[in-house]
Amino acid sequence: MSETKVLTEFYHLPEYQTLAGYKAKGGYETLPKALKMQPQAIIDEVKASGLRGRGGAGFPTGMKWGFLPKNGEPRYLLCNADEGEPGTFKDRMMMERAPHQLIEGMIISAFAVGSHKGYIYVRGEYVFPIECLNKAIKEAYDAGLLGKNILGSGFDFDLDVYRGAGAYICGEETGMISSLEGLKGQPKLKPPFPAVQGYLRKPTIVNNVETLAAVTYIVKDGAQTYRKHGTEKSAGTKLFSVSGNVAKPGNYEVPLGYPLLDLINKECGGMKPGRKLKAIIPGGSSAPVLTAEECAKANLDYESLAGLGTMLGSGAVIVMDDSQCMVDMLGVLTHFYAHESCGQCTPCREGTGWLNKILHSILEGRGRLQDIDLLVKVADNMKGKTICALSDAAALPVLSFVTKFRDEFEFYVREGRSKVKGTTYAEMHH
Amino acid sequence: MPKCTINGKEVEVKEGSSIIEAMQVSGDRIAHYCWHPGLSVAGVCRLCVVEIEGNPRVQIACNTMVTEGMKINNTSEKVKDTVKWGLDFHLINHPLDCPICDQAGECGLQDQYMEYGKYDPEMAEAKVKKHKVVDLGPTVVLDSERCILCSRCVRFTEEVSKTNELGLFNRGDRTEIGTHDGMPLDNNYSLNTVDICPVGALTSKDFRFRQRVWYLKDGDSVCNGCSTGCNIKVYYNKEGLFRIKPVYNEKVNGHWMCDSGRNAYKFVNREARLLKGVARGVEMAPGAAAKNANEVLKNTAGDAIALVLTAQYTLEEYEAIIKTFVEEFKTKKVFFWINNKETFDSFDGLLSRGDKNPNTKGLLKVMEKHGITATWNDLSAGLANGSIKTVVVAGPENQVVFPEYAERLKELSKAQNLIWMQSGKNEALSALTGNVWIIPMKTFVEKDGTFINYSGLEQKIKKVTTVVSEALTLTEAALLLAGKNLAMPMTAPFMPTNQRPDQVELEHRKKNEFVFRRGSL
Repeated sequence: MSETKVLTEFYHLPEYQTLAGYKAKGGYETLPKALKMQPQAIIDEVKASGLRGRGGAGFPTGMKWGFLPKNGEPRYLLCNADEGEPGTFKDRMMMERAPHQLIEGMIISAFAVGSHKGYIYVRGEYVFPIECLNKAIKEAYDAGLLGKNILGSGFDFDLDVYRGAGAYICGEETGMISSLEGLKGQPKLKPPFPAVQGYLRKPTIVNNVETLAAVTYIVKDGAQTYRKHGTEKSAGTKLFSVSGNVAKPGNYEVPLGYPLLDLINKECGGMKPGRKLKAIIPGGSSAPVLTAEECAKANLDYESLAGLGTMLGSGAVIVMDDSQCMVDMLGVLTHFYAHESCGQCTPCREGTGWLNKILHSILEGRGRLQDIDLLVKVADNMKGKTICALSDAAALPVLSFVTKFRDEFEFYVREGRSKVKGTTYAEMHH
Repeated sequence: MPKCTINGKEVEVKEGSSIIEAMQVSGDRIAHYCWHPGLSVAGVCRLCVVEIEGNPRVQIACNTMVTEGMKINNTSEKVKDTVKWGLDFHLINHPLDCPICDQAGECGLQDQYMEYGKYDPEMAEAKVKKHKVVDLGPTVVLDSERCILCSRCVRFTEEVSKTNELGLFNRGDRTEIGTHDGMPLDNNYSLNTVDICPVGALTSKDFRFRQRVWYLKDGDSVCNGCSTGCNIKVYYNKEGLFRIKPVYNEKVNGHWMCDSGRNAYKFVNREARLLKGVARGVEMAPGAAAKNANEVLKNTAGDAIALVLTAQYTLEEYEAIIKTFVEEFKTKKVFFWINNKETFDSFDGLLSRGDKNPNTKGLLKVMEKHGITATWNDLSAGLANGSIKTVVVAGPENQVVFPEYAERLKELSKAQNLIWMQSGKNEALSALTGNVWIIPMKTFVEKDGTFINYSGLEQKIKKVTTVVSEALTLTEAALLLAGKNLAMPMTAPFMPTNQRPDQVELEHRKKNEFVFRRGSL
């Protein structure tokens, strides 16, 4: 086993959820140190660590913090715990098993960026994680770790959990801000970026759960220690949620740059007995799919995956074996994105629905051969044409699935049934 | 002032201008739906795409600011293809009900598809069905299927009327506009949402199915609904007026006007108008009635004559009639009939003012010029003690804003002789008997002149059309009342100037009476 446990070392301990259990393992020891540092020194340390946003975009965290205006205006720190993309469940584990780790990371981050109010935006379906967070926040308030004059430092920080009403696009930072403001969860035009004009039109930093939790480690052991993990451009470790046809699905923390097939074979116990790897979506359902051959060349870092035309994304690794019908799989994905498009930008609103209809025409045996090319044309014209990346998220899987597994789509159109399963859509699902 | 190059032409624009604004300056055409100069930028229709040198992706022009030296083009194949696809995305769930759509003829989707569209549609799937004929409130109907979700109407209720009735509901291609919690779209600016709807999704209950727009002509005028003086376009044909829409004027009304102002067309139409003059119970032509009234005026001593004016006429008309009364009849008993006195100074914060007259300042200006100081109490006293024997009234065009009309009519009819000039019918007025003269007047769309609005801004109005050709302006009436004759330019001696050779008179027209008579939906 090659797991490198920076974040998840104590996740197996039930008492780690509690303040006492967290403290017993060194929790909240970094906070006093951080509160004695200059905020800029923390930002510099985070910059030096090379930490990149773990929510999907991979934007350098320290640089994002540096975009905040220097005028002392009130600013907010928002933790993005919406985690709505199919296959992604890493933040959930952290909130359930190590809520204080997130809270400590948020206090340190808030101190660094000069925020006195933070929210953890959690998707509404995450009932148990919300309970865990609320319990931990209460413990932290009772212990003087949140609220006024934290640990006598003179720094105030209030933290609340906000339960979203449930929309994929609330995981996009401006959509999340709209939702937090009580509006429909719809992304906003950028510029202005949230760091300049975000929640309630004030400067706002939005970071993922995993990103904020990693800040504690960076401040505790220093940027250079953090940099020992991972690669030059993709520093540190990363949590990967592995789902699909593997022997042991679950969350795994490995250093960035770790070989994809090692994650599958060494950490996850390989494929299910008797099955062969067919394809992997390496970074959540919006990432282009890799064939088994491509997987052999893939390392789990931003650059390696970009070089293969896909992305690390949120680290949701969806594994498909040779029993998986790619037409059916894409039908599931297009249905998801058509359902979740916020309805704001025309190419996304209409395009996601159109893709879904074409896919289901094919799946239900009404497809035409030209529909395969039409899928590509529609997806091509959705890509990069909207306010947020949902349109791309819907288009990219379509383009990669159709390009890399075209024979399955053509077979389905000609025969009206799956090439892999030999059955029709109705037989597959009923 | 940054300079940029648009489609090869150098253009200098104001600091902070977006590319789409720069393109308005340069005169370059650009497809767009959601952008509206009076609303915030939504950036959702994704049609106003441009290529910017050095940027690999196309950008939207509405949310991209011009910077010094920027090189922009929207004529490349890449941009054209993106716009074509954008239009196809707009159309895939849009019903092709243009033949029965009220917006046909002035539909942005039709127009832009003809100019930029993709003529080889590839959508073979069933369209998403949405709600039809949704009653949004007292003035507006929504056909959700036609809506392209540009969100202009939603932004209007958020940003301009600040009434927040409208919102976008559901997600993806099930998204529809609607009203929050069943709240009706019911505010005095609701019909602006119809104006700014680029397709036929929002239609005016009042105008819906009354006319195809290509059967209408239009002309510019100034609203006479209140002292703001919104700039308007009047839509009419030989049957009369059908609607009023705002015209942009940065100094007066911006892009908008109120719903009350839009009703002005109703009291202009023939059905609401006085058509014949009356002199002591005898019907005659308006001019003849005015000439007839001269008899009584010339036989009344100047100090026994009173002139009552409402602030609904033009500056030039006031000048003519007051001058006539001061110089010809030697009276300065000229009275300002003020309506809604208690709400005269109120203002709704947007456009609508409590003074429901278009020309109060104009009337006051002319009265001051002629040294008129008489007050209504003087008139009441004169009528009570019999010293005022003959009263000449220039009554309101828009009677609705004169709630005390009946009371005033009763008071003024105490005079021995009552000469009443007015454009619209009124039962109580027509019921008067004895020494009463009724003279039909022209309305604001039937004459030239000047209104001075609440802020002192002078605005010229031009004649748009003629609805009642025999009716008089106040200037013409003043001449006739003074016993003079009208000098009429006679370009076509046997045909009134307002009529076309093929004109069909109202009473002879052949049309669908069912549609015409059924009223608003």
